[in-house]
Amino acid sequence: MTDVRAEWWGQLAGVERQPGRDGIESLRIDANNWRELATAAQQAGFLRFLDLTAVDDPSRPERFEVLVLLYSPSERRWLRLRTTTSGTLASLCPTFVAANWYEREVFDLFGVHFEGHPNLTRILLPDDFPTHPLRRDHPLGDEPVDFTVTREVDAPW
Amino acid sequence: MVTIEEGPRRETMRINLGPQHPSTHGVLRLELELDGERIMSCRPIIGYLHTGIEKSMEARSWLHAIAMTDRLDYLNPLGNNLAFALAVERLFDCVIPERAIVARVLLAELTRINSHLVWIGTNAMDLGALSVFLYTFRERELVLDLFEEMSGARMMTSFIRPGGLAADFPDGWMQRCKGVLDVLPKCIDEYEALLTKNPMFRARTVGIGLLSADDAMAVGVSGPLLRGSGIAHDLRKVHPYCGYEQYDFKVCTATAGDCYARYEVRVGELRESIRICQQALTRMPGGPVRTADRKVMPPPRAEFQRSMEALIHHFKHYTEGLRPPVGEAYVPVESPRGELGFYVRSDGTGRPVRIHERAPSFANLQALPSMTKGMLIADLIAIISTVDPVLGEVDR
Repeated sequence: MTDVRAEWWGQLAGVERQPGRDGIESLRIDANNWRELATAAQQAGFLRFLDLTAVDDPSRPERFEVLVLLYSPSERRWLRLRTTTSGTLASLCPTFVAANWYEREVFDLFGVHFEGHPNLTRILLPDDFPTHPLRRDHPLGDEPVDFTVTREVDAPW
Repeated sequence: MVTIEEGPRRETMRINLGPQHPSTHGVLRLELELDGERIMSCRPIIGYLHTGIEKSMEARSWLHAIAMTDRLDYLNPLGNNLAFALAVERLFDCVIPERAIVARVLLAELTRINSHLVWIGTNAMDLGALSVFLYTFRERELVLDLFEEMSGARMMTSFIRPGGLAADFPDGWMQRCKGVLDVLPKCIDEYEALLTKNPMFRARTVGIGLLSADDAMAVGVSGPLLRGSGIAHDLRKVHPYCGYEQYDFKVCTATAGDCYARYEVRVGELRESIRICQQALTRMPGGPVRTADRKVMPPPRAEFQRSMEALIHHFKHYTEGLRPPVGEAYVPVESPRGELGFYVRSDGTGRPVRIHERAPSFANLQALPSMTKGMLIADLIAIISTVDPVLGEVDR
């Protein structure tokens, strides 16, 4: 591992570098420096914004781990940025326009708020949907199948 | 003094297109602001096909997830299977037999052919050329017949599994596959005869839906959309997986960045895919198609008679399912629509912590508003078609 200070994110505190099992290097960063790191990454050549998603772990106070996947066409490699948050994070839309729908999706399904997003509304679920279903403590939910043979057994009618 | 009002009053009209509109390729809804026939703004509204697949995957075993990957991009089921299998295999770090690797390339390219045939047909149909659709669906059926014979299903194949393939090909399948591949190039000549130099087709596509290389990069599009804007980025060449570096094929690009350029790219890819399939068929080695790693694939039934261990593996496999080691992985592949990858995370138990699909259509659709600005509403239909969104993977 080379000297972190010499890398492009050198100005930012608390960047932890982790090699990935899948060969994609990832940087763990404090949530306060989220947008700064993304901007620095963009300036370092990671121009393509590929993906943004979250992983929920309700057992931790900062339950959401937000992951961003970037690609550098010049270096031909991917980079993963990750941070944890309890529910609010700076939006990356000012840096990467492509983050727009991805952040809306994470807001919709996890309930993470992205501050500074131009239009943070639900994207996949109806606007009046009450919950954020991709949270781990959200029940799966189901609809009873209306077979005539089971109607008398488990249906309310 | 008489005054006459000068010119018509300028006002815009908001109209709703979809979600039940045949040319939107599924349940895409667009909110349009029109000035006469010209599009001032276009806002895609998605989610009408949201089925909570990612949530469902988390509630089931790793093997169940395979069956759901089919249903994401339903024109590219084997490509989805492949992307998911590669990610899970990365967690296991298991060795895949050579025959399975070559077979995967063959199947991935056959699905690309299937997907692009549907695209050429529906694209032409959207522009009013119905007969092309009939031709391409005739040939697509040949490819689907191959899938059906091999996996039992025309579309929802679930054939590529972590550790290899579900089974080997049936007897004579490769011969029939070769027969289909021999027929296809002539058929593509037919489509090209109908479209490529057709003045009406060109009038509807040349210069329509422009996407510059910089914009394409910024909006995060991939696949034929990116290559149609002049960026020769194809994961099969840039980051080869499944041994793509051993195949002789070229990356199709076009520089114009319009609907016609994307047509050229896809027709080119169709021909290249046929070449890759033919190479895969000639080099297809013998041997098993399932890994010998018993943590990933259950042992063959014949082993039960002799080996207690095989019986234990079988039992564990079917009661607990796959148990990938703790970790995360993302392995992208080049789907017919662009960079497709599954982000998977395991905590070592039989159920995934998170499976997220990086869906190419989702990112590509984000580019639609910038491509349609100032275009006519009839052009919008052509543009949606060349984005080639599959709403199954957009909405998941």
